[in-house]
Amino acid sequence: MTARLVATAAALLLLPGVALAAPVGRVPLPRGWVGTTEDWVRGLGIGFVLLNVVLIGLAWRVLRRRGGAAARGLLLAALGLVPVVVVFLSYVHGLEGSKRVEACGSCHVMRGHVADLRDVKSETLAAVHYKNRYIQEAHCYTCHTDYGMAGTVQAKFAGLGHVYRYLTGTYQLPVRIRAPYPNTRCLYCHAESQKFLKSEDHPPESIPDLLSGATSCLECHGPPHPRDAASTEKKAGGPESDPRTASR
Amino acid sequence: MASVGPTPGGERTIRARLLRVALALALLANLLSLLLFLRNTPIVFTVFMFVAQPLFLLAGLLLVAAILAELRARGIV
Repeated sequence: MTARLVATAAALLLLPGVALAAPVGRVPLPRGWVGTTEDWVRGLGIGFVLLNVVLIGLAWRVLRRRGGAAARGLLLAALGLVPVVVVFLSYVHGLEGSKRVEACGSCHVMRGHVADLRDVKSETLAAVHYKNRYIQEAHCYTCHTDYGMAGTVQAKFAGLGHVYRYLTGTYQLPVRIRAPYPNTRCLYCHAESQKFLKSEDHPPESIPDLLSGATSCLECHGPPHPRDAASTEKKAGGPESDPRTASR
Repeated sequence: MASVGPTPGGERTIRARLLRVALALALLANLLSLLLFLRNTPIVFTVFMFVAQPLFLLAGLLLVAAILAELRARGIV
């Protein structure tokens, strides 16, 4: 009876969980009839969470009425097996979401940068890449992450640092990059392009300086972001000052 | 002779209480996970990593503790 109840609950909860995963606040781009991987991860995640909640409720009830021995299977599922799936799906969903521009823009200190990104009249490097879709998605993440697995891990730790400084108000304004922007991130996309290789401004003898960082790409191709992000934020209608640093 | 240590009935009560605490912790962790699925922001993700995950882990450890206690009570371990 309990097994049948659990199986019915699982079927009822997992399927609608996928249907609930409607994209929120996004442009309704075509997604195909089956949805994207992100939709499925989100839907399955919601479904498994609801399943886990039901299993917890059932386990509680059986534990109370018949003791631990009778609730063994339910306890193992509710506290062992299903939580593993929930944690896995939560991590996938959270990590993929942390790469999006909206994630960076969710902190108000970044609103000026994100507003400039979306300003079609802006000619900053970031805005040009964004409006022309030279980078298809995860725009901030693509330029601010080093390559390989170490780059990804480093970016995630840096993100944690950002969250910590934001919540504790220990960041400095104006927001500045911690170290000079490495050319290798530009060259990862541009180095093999014919436009770069055939450009008179990048003769072969200048390549070693570009690779070593002795000459920064941003010297000629900057600024990457608006120099005065606060005024861009004002134009975007955001808050004019950071209330946490206003009194400093 | 006075008995030493908890009675078998008392041990069962302690195990049941451990399991109830584990279920409560897992429920709280699930609610935080649900929040992450509904509203994926860096702060919610950070809360998930540093609050929900330890809660899940603690719930699992309490389950293991209850299982070991039962095995010990039956003389298997």
